[in-house]
Amino acid sequence: MLFDLYFVFRVLVFPGFTFLFFFTMFCDWVERKIEARMQNRMGPTFTGPGGILQPFADVVKLLTKEDIVPGGAKKTIFRIAPIISFSIIVFAISFLPIDGAAIIPNSSFAGDLIFIMALITIANFFLFLSGWASANPYSDIGASRLLTQFLGYDIPLVILALAPAFLAGSLTIASIAASQYLPFIILAPWAFVLFIVTLQAELEKDPFDIPHAESEVVGGLETEFCGGKLAFLRLTRDMQIVFGAALVVELFLGGPYGPVFFGFPAFWYFLWFVLKLLAVVVVTEYLTCLFARLRIDQVLTANWKVLLPLSVLSLTLTVAVATWVYPLVM
Amino acid sequence: MSQKETDILSVLQAKFKDTSVQVQPQQLGKVAVIADATTYRDVLKALLEADEKTAVIAITGIDLGATLGVFYHIRTSTAGIITIKVEVPQEEPRLKTISDLMPGAAFDEMEVTDLVGVVFEGHPSPGRLVLPDNWPDGVFPLRKDAKLDNLQFKPTPPSEPASPGNEDIVKIIIGPQHPALLEPEKFALKVEGEIVKDVQPRIGYVHRGIEKAAESRTYLQDVYLVERICGICNACHATCFVEAVEKILETEVPPRAKYIRTILLELNRLHSHLLTLGHAGLEIGFETLFQYFWRDREPIMDITEIISGNRVISSGMTVGGVRRDINEADIPKIKGMLTSLRKRLPFYKKVYEDEPSIKMRMKNVGTLKREDALKLCIVGPTARGSAVDIDVRKDEPYEAYGEIPFKLITYNEGDTWARMNVRMDEVEESINIIEYALDNLPTGPFRVRVPRVVPAGETVNRVEAPRGELFYYLKSNGTAYPERVKVRTPTFANIPAFLATAIGSNIADVPPNFVSLDPCFSCTDR
Amino acid sequence: MGVSFGDVTMGKKKKSSISPMVKALLSNLFKKPATCQYPFVKAEVPEGFRGKQVYDINLCISCGLCSRDCPASAIEMVEINGKRRPLFHLDQCIFCYQCAESCPRNAIQSTKIFELATTDKSSLVIKPEEKAQKENGEQQ
Repeated sequence: MLFDLYFVFRVLVFPGFTFLFFFTMFCDWVERKIEARMQNRMGPTFTGPGGILQPFADVVKLLTKEDIVPGGAKKTIFRIAPIISFSIIVFAISFLPIDGAAIIPNSSFAGDLIFIMALITIANFFLFLSGWASANPYSDIGASRLLTQFLGYDIPLVILALAPAFLAGSLTIASIAASQYLPFIILAPWAFVLFIVTLQAELEKDPFDIPHAESEVVGGLETEFCGGKLAFLRLTRDMQIVFGAALVVELFLGGPYGPVFFGFPAFWYFLWFVLKLLAVVVVTEYLTCLFARLRIDQVLTANWKVLLPLSVLSLTLTVAVATWVYPLVM
Repeated sequence: MSQKETDILSVLQAKFKDTSVQVQPQQLGKVAVIADATTYRDVLKALLEADEKTAVIAITGIDLGATLGVFYHIRTSTAGIITIKVEVPQEEPRLKTISDLMPGAAFDEMEVTDLVGVVFEGHPSPGRLVLPDNWPDGVFPLRKDAKLDNLQFKPTPPSEPASPGNEDIVKIIIGPQHPALLEPEKFALKVEGEIVKDVQPRIGYVHRGIEKAAESRTYLQDVYLVERICGICNACHATCFVEAVEKILETEVPPRAKYIRTILLELNRLHSHLLTLGHAGLEIGFETLFQYFWRDREPIMDITEIISGNRVISSGMTVGGVRRDINEADIPKIKGMLTSLRKRLPFYKKVYEDEPSIKMRMKNVGTLKREDALKLCIVGPTARGSAVDIDVRKDEPYEAYGEIPFKLITYNEGDTWARMNVRMDEVEESINIIEYALDNLPTGPFRVRVPRVVPAGETVNRVEAPRGELFYYLKSNGTAYPERVKVRTPTFANIPAFLATAIGSNIADVPPNFVSLDPCFSCTDR
Repeated sequence: MGVSFGDVTMGKKKKSSISPMVKALLSNLFKKPATCQYPFVKAEVPEGFRGKQVYDINLCISCGLCSRDCPASAIEMVEINGKRRPLFHLDQCIFCYQCAESCPRNAIQSTKIFELATTDKSSLVIKPEEKAQKENGEQQ
């Protein structure tokens, strides 16, 4: 059949693009409200009930602004790179099971964990290109910091992601999520803690906030963007946060699977997925509020001298514990 | 005078007994030395040999009619302020620079060149400081005959290219509009990779010509004018000015007024320190600390509103006392707010000591050694963080500070972390001072009437603003309008510290370093 | 001259070296925000607040001291019914109340009105004549 309605519905509406779009904004609102309350202030309050429409209002406002391309910028890359990175991230999320099945139906294949990690790396590379293509020293510095930080922290991230893969015995995300009779956060808590820390660096949140540190490089790679393109960059960053949290949910918290009480299992899987994802978002936001921003050389030291050895150690520990300890206990 | 003061005086008098240099004690605050273009450097050298803590406070340029006066105000640790008065003819206004003896005087000399027109030979980096680049040559605003209507501005000179020559060196410009700065100034950093190689400052973006404006307003109106040099240390500017006028008038302010002035000054200090501590949190990316500190700053503004009627600019000082009294019924409420602020302080102290990311960003960042601080004439908490124990409240007590016990805070490390801790401890001391003053308010009048016309005379005065030592030179000519008002603000003296510590550091260290000297550019530029 | 207050060294052992921020963030999550929800909640100003001026024409003796002493040149003396009266330009005014202090008859008083922002510049002028006509109207 040339026109598969089910496919189109899943990809474009639910749980596909439209749902992801609004869900990203909802997560943004949750983040801002939690951050505000932790800082003893109110957060978004007046746009919509409880301020829930605030992120949407921000996107709409940006779309109404003038779209300027700087004279010395490389115009094609400047215009296209944000859109490409956004699309790649949406594509990467499509492989994660949200309501018991991935967004693109029957799309999971062996090794798709590594595949989506690679996709995220490419998306960030396009972000770097968008900063490099603006003719501005602040963007240059921001973009190079982004690439240095991201490529550096990618390695421990992949190594740490291998721990649940080993426990599940497969590199397919759907099977890792499905084989968690006991969530892997309990079986390998060291990997979970390190993964959350590495995720902070991947998502450019405090203490690894330096690529878009406002007080030094004005806007980092976003400096020259305005209007619709800036909305895309912001959405890309927010969607990366959703992606990172979704990855944690799949790998460590048992994916969408949880107790089903009545009615459709798909509904309950979806509900558990959302709840777990929001919990991860709250935890990362708490870590953001807790720390100051580290300098770039401190970020690199933390990666190569601390996180990389610790991630190798954690993988070794997981293998050792899983092979010799758990068969005795369970 | 104390024993040490007479020592410095007798050293000077002995050394210059048979020369043309006249040493006049009890003039202009403490000592005035009349020298000429050939001998003033010898006087300065003699003072530097006699005392290690000698520093140049300010250099006043003044139009005396046929000649241009250049007054060097020198701070010594024992003899107070010694002013060396030099006059140069208007046709040939040249003097040798003193920045080889005291590097901290470089900025002051550039300002005198800009505003009065005296050229200092041998200056390391001559150029415009407070006036814009396209200001016409030959027009010196502070001269009495300056024509400031219909100025013919020069064309703006082109700016330097982005990467002059060397491809590795990138020029990052902080300012005039930049998220790290609250007020506009330009600092052009030349950066290689992430290390700063050179810093070129350009100040003067907020220059409003207040010194010139003060000459055309009465003393009463000038109190409100100088108050608006800076929003946060407004009471300090007003106090310094009215004290200078009172010195010329030889008026004694009633004790109750002195205590109320002290309370308003300490409220300014609390406000400023809490603001800086929060702003420092913002610069290192710690937004939570920023929000918490600014939440705790709100009661201070409420207290200022209760006492003076306005949250920030208190307008409480006038020549002869204070403008309104403190209502006794408000005192318990004020003390309650101060007590709840005091309870928050251990939390912040503990955050500064235990939070690892703060220590990583602030320790060993922007370290200023003690001898550099003395050479560059640094003042305020910036100097006290480098173990230099200068504080006008202790060195030359004014208002009620001589009667109220408090500690002088110094730290030895000299880095950003030490300076922030100095400010936090000073917050606690300020709360102590205000509570003591409220408990021991003397009774009596809070104001005396003074004449509107001030007899001819000149004096210097200084107070301890939150950022350091604030200095005023006032000359009156027997009318209701002042002849010359010269202001030297603490941030003006502290910018060389930033220039010295920024070179060789990371770009990411520049904002916290910068904020730790608590820059206030409205003060700097006047 | 001065007493060195303290020298916090890094090597000292502390009782607990976890930053208090950890607990503070969680406890603040459940507390009421510190924000005062102006304009839905009225802001309280204390007595003696320097707000909009109110001027009593019956006490004025036309000495002009308020206009002479105003640091911002915000008071203009105008002719009303043959006498000189002050006209207040609130867009120039810095609310220092030197005019109230200089006035020998206390004709200028403060109020608690601070919400003066407007898009109509003519509402920022306090004219003496309206008060005079109103007084005359009431007396008749």
